[in-house]
Amino acid sequence: MSEIESQTDGTARSSETTTGETDERIREEWSDYSFEGEAKLTVDDLDVYYGDDHALKGVSMDIPEESVTALIGPSGCGKSTFLRCLNRMNDRIKAARIDGSVELDGEEIYQDGVDLVELRKAVGMVFQAPNPFPKSIRDNITYGPRKHGDLDTGLLARLTGRDDSETADELVQRALEQAAIWDEIKDRLDDNAMGLSGGQQQRLCIARCLAVDPDVILMDEPASALDPVATSKIEDLIEDLADDYTVVVVTHSMQQAARISDQTAVFLTGGELVEYDDTDKIFENPESQRVEDYITGKFG
Amino acid sequence: MASATESSVVRGDTSTYETIAALTVGLAAVLFFLGLAATVEVVSITGTLAGLPTLTALGLLLVIMGVAVAGFGLISYRGIFPTDPRASAGVVAGGLFSSLWGLIGALVAAETLGLGVVGGVAGGLVLGALAFFATALPREDIGSTLPAGALAVFFGLVFLLGVVGPEWSWSPANFPSSQSVTFFAATVAPFAVMASSLVVGWAAAKAYGGFGARGRHLGAYLLVYLNAVSIIAVLIALVAFVVFKGFGPVTEGVEIGLGVGPATTIGLFGFGFDVVWPVSWPFLTNGASLFTDITGVFPAIVGTIWLVIGAVVLSVPLGVGAAIFLTEYAEQGRFTNVVEIATNALWSTPSIVFGLFGAAFLVPRFTPQPQKSLLSGMITLGFMLLPLVVITAREAMIAVPDEYRDASAALGVSRWQTIRSVVLPAAMPGVVTGVILGVGRIAGETAPLLLTMGGGSFVGAGQRAKVLDGFQLSLSPPFVTNPELTQATTALPYQLYQVILTGTGQTAGVNDVTAFGWGTALVLLGVVLAFYAVGIATRQYFRSKLTYE
Repeated sequence: MSEIESQTDGTARSSETTTGETDERIREEWSDYSFEGEAKLTVDDLDVYYGDDHALKGVSMDIPEESVTALIGPSGCGKSTFLRCLNRMNDRIKAARIDGSVELDGEEIYQDGVDLVELRKAVGMVFQAPNPFPKSIRDNITYGPRKHGDLDTGLLARLTGRDDSETADELVQRALEQAAIWDEIKDRLDDNAMGLSGGQQQRLCIARCLAVDPDVILMDEPASALDPVATSKIEDLIEDLADDYTVVVVTHSMQQAARISDQTAVFLTGGELVEYDDTDKIFENPESQRVEDYITGKFG
Repeated sequence: MASATESSVVRGDTSTYETIAALTVGLAAVLFFLGLAATVEVVSITGTLAGLPTLTALGLLLVIMGVAVAGFGLISYRGIFPTDPRASAGVVAGGLFSSLWGLIGALVAAETLGLGVVGGVAGGLVLGALAFFATALPREDIGSTLPAGALAVFFGLVFLLGVVGPEWSWSPANFPSSQSVTFFAATVAPFAVMASSLVVGWAAAKAYGGFGARGRHLGAYLLVYLNAVSIIAVLIALVAFVVFKGFGPVTEGVEIGLGVGPATTIGLFGFGFDVVWPVSWPFLTNGASLFTDITGVFPAIVGTIWLVIGAVVLSVPLGVGAAIFLTEYAEQGRFTNVVEIATNALWSTPSIVFGLFGAAFLVPRFTPQPQKSLLSGMITLGFMLLPLVVITAREAMIAVPDEYRDASAALGVSRWQTIRSVVLPAAMPGVVTGVILGVGRIAGETAPLLLTMGGGSFVGAGQRAKVLDGFQLSLSPPFVTNPELTQATTALPYQLYQVILTGTGQTAGVNDVTAFGWGTALVLLGVVLAFYAVGIATRQYFRSKLTYE
């Protein structure tokens, strides 16, 4: 693949006009990223409309498992929209209309009869601003499993002998350790989560997401509201998580994408996926002139 | 005065000019509160103040302050003290002084000089126009001090020279005799003092700030501050008045000591034993009876408490449920707008309309014969409380950040579970605030109770609404009955109305009807405050679960 790309390099650049119009065939080649192993998520020709606004145009990409995939691009290019399609969070926006196909482990998630509870248990999400519930740290972690009926605690459970308090404690410890925050907050699990610092809150949100044991974790600019120290902790955490989980990260920091991701998809204005390849390739030798301009800071 | 090297950014030490201006502001505030105290007769117009007749003392203070304020303006105008005045005091100040002086001109011309209506109008127009030009045309330091100072000097001289003495009164001759109005010095003088002290204080505060932007800021600050403080003062005066009047009758015959109080029988495992309270408080624990010396309000307290509990139990689940539907499920659009307008309108519906509805719709439904009942009263008040609960619960739920809902949805939690575990707990403090406000209103409602619940206003302590004891179980439908709920009873505001206006108190053995009324009012105030305390404690509990520390 890389040989073909290097051969077509010259023609591809010349075939891209200054307004960003590119030959459809070439663009497909740029975004046709091949890798070994199975794809965790397969997106095929995904279109999203907000009312009359065509927010995402025919995006197709395969996301490999147990790796970090970064989505970069300027504001309003549709990368967050794309991310929210992967666990159907866009269903919550009434004006949004979605065409196309997203497959999780080969199963279509945009079809009748999909259990949103199971889907979102398998595909968790972490948001831009830390949003812990105004509850204790312990309750934040156990919230998902309790609501799914996987944990039974409380008075009635104790009376009927189905108390899962010990399992809950183990779960809290496992999730917080995975999110690299256990040592910092293990002594105040019953304090309100609102008392944590921003970086701790965000890692708590990651732990809350891990507690329901997802396969895929979607992160929407998870470090953009944090200071550099907290950011670097989140970045380390993301790299560690990629050993067991498939992580998809939206970021507008190109340095961050370069540091943490295995492959990078570049979205540019208009809701198009312009180029998708190994992160090294994207940052060192992108095919598209617009992507190169964007990465070197000439545009966007 | 100020040194020439002083920069315009750094203000130097406080100068004599500023000290005197600050003292004048303080004096104006004191005078304002003296006027406020005189309106509620804490300070007597006919008495003395600091050794002088009250009006003379007030007049003297007004003249001193008027002269001082005019002096500030002149000092600033002559440039003796560096200030930063604008070109004009502005049209708003001009309009204010114009209307004040116009009123004075009209009254003086028409009444004192006896020029009649035409002369009055002419005098008002002339003096009003003069005041307007005197305010708006010259530089700000002159325009905002001279008309204000003159006003204070005018009123001060009127009081000092005895033109308006303590016994002064004025009945406008032009009013038809059937609507005759009389102004007394005790009513008019405090308002004149308050108005001129506000105006003078405002001008002095401007002078203290050196006019210009800082002066205007200080002038506005003084007015807003006095406004806020006087609102609190009025509130305190009102509560203090009720406490003073009601304290005597409420505490009549109170005894504290072992074995003086009423006995309560506690049944335990078949044994009954009496516990004697260490406090005897006849007004709170007695009903009306020929055998007690002091007639009390116990049945009315019980009635009010049950009414509030019933109304809250009815309206909170319904109201919160409606709010959940409107904010979380219904699509925002015409339907929710209509519901919102309807709930707002329902909340401002006069209570007597609710009462009439209750009388026509509820009273005939619970007993074979139409009968006013506690249940009807509870439901009517519950309907009154409902719209406020809906409005405040809706506001509180809208204020819950969408991030919580997103986070919950991303974990795969269903919408109803999200509402129950995240939205409702976060909205609870707001809901409780709404209920607190509403309870204050319904606990004092009289009109609906007249029509739906009120029976004999004076009943014995034994005839109170014994709701807890009244439940009876049976094997046939409706399985649970409670005759206490379907009987008429009494409540504090209802009893107050009966005592003051219908004279039922005398026949029930109340010696002093007015004192009994004040006592009832104080107890009502206490009951409402107790509900407030419970509400605030509840809100604090829910809030503490949401926040850190």
